[in-house]
Amino acid sequence: MAEINSSTGAAPSILSIRSLQKSFDSVSVLRDISLSVERGNVVSIIGPSGSGKSTLLRCASFLEHADGGDILYDGEYALHNGVYAQKAELARFRTRFGLVFQNFQLFPHYSVLRNVSEAPILHGENKDEVHARALELLKKMGLEGREKAYPYQLSGGQQQRVAIARALCMRPEILFFDEPTSALDPELTGEVLKVIRQLAEERMTMVVVTHEMPFAKAVSNRVIFMADGVIVEQGDPKEVFDNPREERTKQFLRVFER
Amino acid sequence: MSLMTMIVKMSEGLGKTCAIFFLTLLFSLPLGMIVALLRMSKVKLVSAVTRFFITILRGTPLMLQLLAVTYGPYYLFGATVARNKLIPVVIAFSINYAAYFAEIYRGGIESIPVGQYEAAEVLGYTRIQTFMRIILPQVIKRIMPSVTNEVVTLVKDTSMAFTVSYQEMFTIGKQIANSQTSFTPFVVAGAFYYIFNVIVDYVMGRIEKRLDYYR
Repeated sequence: MAEINSSTGAAPSILSIRSLQKSFDSVSVLRDISLSVERGNVVSIIGPSGSGKSTLLRCASFLEHADGGDILYDGEYALHNGVYAQKAELARFRTRFGLVFQNFQLFPHYSVLRNVSEAPILHGENKDEVHARALELLKKMGLEGREKAYPYQLSGGQQQRVAIARALCMRPEILFFDEPTSALDPELTGEVLKVIRQLAEERMTMVVVTHEMPFAKAVSNRVIFMADGVIVEQGDPKEVFDNPREERTKQFLRVFER
Repeated sequence: MSLMTMIVKMSEGLGKTCAIFFLTLLFSLPLGMIVALLRMSKVKLVSAVTRFFITILRGTPLMLQLLAVTYGPYYLFGATVARNKLIPVVIAFSINYAAYFAEIYRGGIESIPVGQYEAAEVLGYTRIQTFMRIILPQVIKRIMPSVTNEVVTLVKDTSMAFTVSYQEMFTIGKQIANSQTSFTPFVVAGAFYYIFNVIVDYVMGRIEKRLDYYR
């Protein structure tokens, strides 16, 4: 499937991926994936497990080494024809995106505040400024007064919100979510989805891999349905959810109907 | 010889016992980390060679290693045996304990979820920052019980220095036992080691407690 509106001459997409390919051993996990994400948009990626959704995010955030294709941030090549930019340049690209993991991956030996603030401070930012920013983010995440707590003292939902604050404290241009609620008890998913929804309202650019269909439908500007390493269908969430064109999409969505 | 005299004479060797103990820890704890990192090297040859040396050090008696380090240079090169036996003794102990610590460190490092490295990487931590700030502190907490075990063993292993006649507490005790045909010096030695280890247990317990602020 061709990518949507990346070559219209206007400002380049924050993220464009072209013909991305990735295999694990001989298993092809991503075959010719192309997509682009515009500033201020929320793109949801849905699909059955094993479809390559997470691998796609992990390639975009350089945690997985893609075998071929292009990855561009703001029109600059991080990956060009399967060749990565220099190490120092990749480090610079890394400051443009944030990633929220399924299992939070907070640092257990750090307080909430240190989890959120250490990375920007290590990058040379003023400590007081970063702390002020971190506290503000925590407040926004509904975690005011919890800055001295340690991750084990928090619920899963709270931990994930700390992880979101940690990613945001780096002031990324685009934020990736890799199944942010899949490791949470059902009653805790709401509080995490709420903050993501709030970020969407503030026009934060986000790519969300999720199994929360109503959420994806309500929040996204675009939905991408992936299966077996290819983008089967993508478009307006209402179109994809209410009126899917592809049989594979219909089949997948049927499972969520009840 | 009275019990008191025995205790006084043997405690004169306690300084040397402590010297073996503390110097061994001083050298083997960091050396073990270097060995662990070599053992986990992605360069196959490096990890294979390191692994081989670890099996030798763990698979042969410390007593033999003490003899080899102390007298080996004499038999191999005709070098004079060191006057101060503390040097070969500490070398042998440090290398031997480094091998054990290396395996403990490796287990600890490998037990940290890969997601911790990934989270740090995405946040722009350098590899050294990731190791020093994120991984190592968690490793230290996890391995404390195993390290305590080794340290307790080290206290008792210092007695092995008698094989090269280094005049530490146990060696003196053994000499008294021989000359007086008495078993009492061994009982005294046992008491000394026991008290030493009660202190070690207390100190290590305090350290573990200080690391208890998170899970």
